[in-house]
Amino acid sequence: MTYAQTIWGMYVRWTTAWPALSAFAPFVPLIALWGFVVWLEIFPRVFLPGPFEVLQTSWSLLYKGILPAYLGDSLVRLAVGAAAGMALAIPLGIFIGLNQRAHDATWPVLLFFQAIGDIAWLPILLVWFGFGLTTMTFVIVYTVMFPVILNTVLGIRSARPELERAAQSLGASRTRILFEVTLPGALPNIITGLRNGLGYGWRALIAAEIIVGTSGIGFLMFDARRAGSVDEIVVGMIVLGILWYIVDSWILAPIERATGERWGLVTT
Amino acid sequence: MAERVAFSPVPYPRLRRTVKFMLPLMGLVVIWQLVVVIFDVNPRIFPDVPTVLRAGWGTIADGSLFSHVTASLWRVTVGTVLAILLAVPLGILMGVSRGVSSFLSPLFRFFSVLAGIAWIPIATLWFGYGFGAITFVIFNAVFFVVTYNTLLGVSTIPMPIRHAAASLGTSRWQLLKEVLVPGALPNIVTGIRTGMGFAWRGLIAAEMIATNTGLGYMLFLARDFYRTEVIVFAMIVIGIIWLVLDRLLLAPLERATVERWGMVQRS
Repeated sequence: MTYAQTIWGMYVRWTTAWPALSAFAPFVPLIALWGFVVWLEIFPRVFLPGPFEVLQTSWSLLYKGILPAYLGDSLVRLAVGAAAGMALAIPLGIFIGLNQRAHDATWPVLLFFQAIGDIAWLPILLVWFGFGLTTMTFVIVYTVMFPVILNTVLGIRSARPELERAAQSLGASRTRILFEVTLPGALPNIITGLRNGLGYGWRALIAAEIIVGTSGIGFLMFDARRAGSVDEIVVGMIVLGILWYIVDSWILAPIERATGERWGLVTT
Repeated sequence: MAERVAFSPVPYPRLRRTVKFMLPLMGLVVIWQLVVVIFDVNPRIFPDVPTVLRAGWGTIADGSLFSHVTASLWRVTVGTVLAILLAVPLGILMGVSRGVSSFLSPLFRFFSVLAGIAWIPIATLWFGYGFGAITFVIFNAVFFVVTYNTLLGVSTIPMPIRHAAASLGTSRWQLLKEVLVPGALPNIVTGIRTGMGFAWRGLIAAEMIATNTGLGYMLFLARDFYRTEVIVFAMIVIGIIWLVLDRLLLAPLERATVERWGMVQRS
């Protein structure tokens, strides 16, 4: 018990000194446990590889240049798709949010298309565009678009009328009200939508790569599955997890928090 | 008419709302048909409305739609229920202690980020192609997201509330029942909704890859024979099921719990 307390004390002291450490420390016992389970050989090695094998495989994948190339492919697809999706979704969302008639006419349709879900489009996209980049880009753009549109509309519509009236009575023009009152008010929602959209888009990308499969991390994993090399699957999963963890918690979440603090309408 | 006490300025508000919701969708169907007829679209590329309806009726008549839908829904139900039953107690248990929850939350965050589709390759390896692998993927998508959200919910209950309950002499069990669970409930329900969103997409993807029944398989099988009318019909079915599940079940549940138990932070 005293050992545990000592270790815990060290953990607490170090994490207060370097807060970044607390993001990594919990993985140490997990990996140790994983190694221990593998060492006990409860599961056959072909089902559950050990940490060292995975490390070896990832090193060899890195060394051969497969991992960086596939990772680059996945990231470029995601970035292109997300950028295109946002460029389409934000203006559309602003338009629908500002126009009551457009809202009435399109809102159920938007909800329905959001509900169909990205992956259900894959078969018909394969018929239309074949196995290729167009299919994957389409899926990602589609996935990113709908959460962003829906959240933008929500954000614009939840803008407080009294703020708009205040701006109006101070003599602001409609464009100024849009850019200085409505849009900043909607920004936290837009960012939330973006975060959701990217989360879904990321998963859609993996599914698309598994099914369409020419390159990318999803393809790497499924190709490994076909060859039965479980360590490559695990490498793929870890890479995916780390990557998205970084993107989500070091880039998207701080932006969301910052916009929430800066422009969020905190009602007291 | 005498028993109609509650007067509302708009008669039949529920009906009106439904009609208002359905009208744009009907419009979409009309536009779809018009576009196909006017531009003379190849039915291999995109079928017209009657063809899709006929194909849909065909799958209903031979019972294949029913078996696919029940297979998919059964997997979702089993995976989700198992995941919730495990995730909520675990999340509460870990959330009670602040040290434990702050230590473990990066772990669960990592796995909830990975949830769903990324597990398909290894799930098919572990469980083979079929029910096991798909249910595992769903379980996974729901489990980590719900655990993480429960953990978050319990650990963000303001300490003064817990101290107040303790100083009023609650037992541990009462504290759990009266403070921790209700306080975390909004987060739990949000977690379930998010998790099921991922799970539903994961289900479709997994069914395309790893089985021989279910909606995803129906889609992919139709693709093999270039039967776009079946593909479009299955997409519509998927859309309707998720819309009903999300809007009529999960969203009202979320709203109700947030209204009832949500702690609106006042600063």
